[in-house]
Amino acid sequence: MLEVDALDVAYGELRALSGVSVRVDGGEVVALVGSNGAGKTTLLRAVAGLVRPRAGRVRWDGAELAGVPPHRVVERGIAMVPEGRRLFGRMTVEENLRLGAFTRRALAERESSLESVFATFPRLRERRRQLAGSLSGGEQQMVAIGRALMSRPRLLMLDEPSLGLAPRIVEAIFGVFTEINRRGVAVFLVEQNVRAALVLAHRAYLIEHGRIVGEGSGTTLLADPQVRQAYLGPLAVAR
Amino acid sequence: MRILQQLVLGLLLGGLYGLAAAGLSLIFGVLKVLNVAHGELIMLGGYAAFWLSAIVGLDPFVALAGVIPLTAVLGLVLYGGLFGFVVRFDEETRIKNSLLVGFGLSLTLHALAVKLWTADERSIPTGYAGQTIGVGGLVLPLGRLASLAVALALIGLTHLFLARARWGQAIRATAEDWEAALLQGIDVRRAYLLAFALGTALAGAAGCLVAVGYSISPAIGLEWTFKALIVVVLAGLGSLFGTFVGGLVLGVAEAASALTFGGPYREVVGLLIFFCVLIARPQGLFGRP
Amino acid sequence: MTGPRRLDLRATAATLVGLAALGAVPLVVRRDDVLNLGVVFFLAIALAQSWNVIAGLAGQVNLGHAAFFGLGALVTRSLWIAGAPVLLAMAAGAAVATVAGVALGLVAFRLRGAYFAIGTLALSEILRVSVGNVLAEISTLPAAAIAGYRLGPRYYGALALALGSVLVVAGLIRSRLGLGMEAVREDEAAAEASGVGAFGVKLRAVVVSTCLAGLTGGLFAYYHISYYPQHPFSPIWTFDAVLVTFIGGVGTVHGPVLGAAFYVLFKEYLAVQWVDAHLLIFGALFVLIVLLLPGGLVEAGQRIARRLAGVLVSRPAPGVR
Repeated sequence: MLEVDALDVAYGELRALSGVSVRVDGGEVVALVGSNGAGKTTLLRAVAGLVRPRAGRVRWDGAELAGVPPHRVVERGIAMVPEGRRLFGRMTVEENLRLGAFTRRALAERESSLESVFATFPRLRERRRQLAGSLSGGEQQMVAIGRALMSRPRLLMLDEPSLGLAPRIVEAIFGVFTEINRRGVAVFLVEQNVRAALVLAHRAYLIEHGRIVGEGSGTTLLADPQVRQAYLGPLAVAR
Repeated sequence: MRILQQLVLGLLLGGLYGLAAAGLSLIFGVLKVLNVAHGELIMLGGYAAFWLSAIVGLDPFVALAGVIPLTAVLGLVLYGGLFGFVVRFDEETRIKNSLLVGFGLSLTLHALAVKLWTADERSIPTGYAGQTIGVGGLVLPLGRLASLAVALALIGLTHLFLARARWGQAIRATAEDWEAALLQGIDVRRAYLLAFALGTALAGAAGCLVAVGYSISPAIGLEWTFKALIVVVLAGLGSLFGTFVGGLVLGVAEAASALTFGGPYREVVGLLIFFCVLIARPQGLFGRP
Repeated sequence: MTGPRRLDLRATAATLVGLAALGAVPLVVRRDDVLNLGVVFFLAIALAQSWNVIAGLAGQVNLGHAAFFGLGALVTRSLWIAGAPVLLAMAAGAAVATVAGVALGLVAFRLRGAYFAIGTLALSEILRVSVGNVLAEISTLPAAAIAGYRLGPRYYGALALALGSVLVVAGLIRSRLGLGMEAVREDEAAAEASGVGAFGVKLRAVVVSTCLAGLTGGLFAYYHISYYPQHPFSPIWTFDAVLVTFIGGVGTVHGPVLGAAFYVLFKEYLAVQWVDAHLLIFGALFVLIVLLLPGGLVEAGQRIARRLAGVLVSRPAPGVR
């Protein structure tokens, strides 16, 4: 479904991604793990259309995606939850969610999508008229995910959803990812919390300094001694 | 009683300051572009009203229905031909460039107006505008009273649009975080265009109201840009009604200053307030104090 | 705004020589209109260079520049009409403008970027309105001064000022202060972090800028027979300085000179055809330059030169495939 082929992205002189190739098929949960600054966010931003690649291809459903403006990428069925949530803090929870269904396609089913989001995150129904900026970290993450779901994506991309959240909440949110995936949405997850990501994912990629350095199923990588040492040792666990 | 009279007249004028500022605030808040030719847009709106009234014979309040779309189209043209390029820069450069560009645009439009219509002052005469109504000892010109009501109504309509309409909310979202807005499928360039056209239309409307109750000439451009700037800085960005109230405050402050120091210093108090508020908030209008 | 990192010595020398050569004009040409054009040209150079210092070199866009021009004019005019020798009056005008500049810096330098720009514009407007209120009547030279009015001293005075302003800018670019100004212009926070005292740098820049502007104002007062005292405080003068500098090439030494030449000649030509059209055209031109060619004529010239050089180099020698 999503095919990234030999992608090169640079910010001026700085090479962020070199020859990166990843794949996400329908129904999969794929994780991209690596340490800070490895290029994970850049890859998501390139797929979402926020950043133009210098070389390589991005294909979605067989069609070229690179160069498509971000708001059209959403129309084609890819939604992204950016790092740090980026909610519209001065608008209410409900307004944020409704804005998620901005595209024509999503607009038609906005009410049922909203109900579905409230069913997944009952807490948000209670807080629907509250200003998004006044919510706790975990609740904000729920709004961000809900907002992305409102666009009825076939692929949901998330940039560090566990950042700044307590482990209990991370667990709950990752549980939601499983449920979303069961409903037929592919999930592409970028994470520093390697353990949680590998447990959740069907497949995963390892990225270092802008290059893919490993690939495998979630369980295989979890068991891999090198991976364990590099990412899962006592010093390597993030936050 | 004379004092109160002057203050109330200042209040009536302040409503127009608020309307003028609302357009500037909208554009600045959404596009992060400071159009210092905003006053010239008000001036052009005034002339549009004047000519619609003089040639077609429309009552100026009716002409409003023509002036608003006309200036909105002007806004589309200005955005497409000019400010649409300015938004390609990052925020800091954007503000600086829009300032310079606006500066040039304002002098160009001023020169154009002088060329087309001479530097003479114009005003739209209506039968009723001169009439007054008495309210508890105060004498209020009907035309200016109606202008205040119209200004408030326009602000209310704009507020409703921003709060409820799909594209109104898209504009608000873009103002807060344009990248996040893009990620929701919002075409940010279209949001910019809409906001700019809307802000310009509000300026045009203000100009029309100025032509009725007061007078217009090519020279009022810079003056009204300052009024709008002062109110925006005073009220901050964010609430249109807050901006309206800020306008009222400026109007009353000017009247008070004229009463205290004399007419010629009316302008100065606003500028002083402006400068002092700027100094008190050196981080600008977007930062947290 | 970017500027060249080094001083273009050849261009600077050419400019200085060219300007100095204009000193011969009054000896050859006896026409008053040519001499008047010269004075206007030199004044434009000086005013533009004074703005160039604060905005082009130090990166602080000062939209209230007319205030210092006006103060110089005001003080000079008052003292000179009261009987003081004109050079002393001009020095006093420059001094007052400089003090005002320092005051501005102390108060307004905490404002960054656009807020500094509109803040300074507000201040200069306050000054203009106040002056207009206090001195509403036109200022005319006493009859004796009009009778003894000679263009020669005005011409050479303005030329000296223009030459001086070019030298000052050139000297600044070469100096350590100039390096500091460049650092502040490019990235004030980074400059501060690396030890450049940004505030001190900006203050010194404003001293030079307002002193020059004040002198130019003084010359304006010396040159014009009658004008309204608030006129030199009008934002039109700021715009002139901004326009000329941008058209020519902001941050360069010879840019403002080129821009002034272009501006004055064009204005003369247009004034013959349509009275106010020059503002229209210059406004449009200015906008285009800000958006498309921020380096002004200097950059355009450099690009053309490079393009020509490329053409000449890449053309194969005849007979070679």
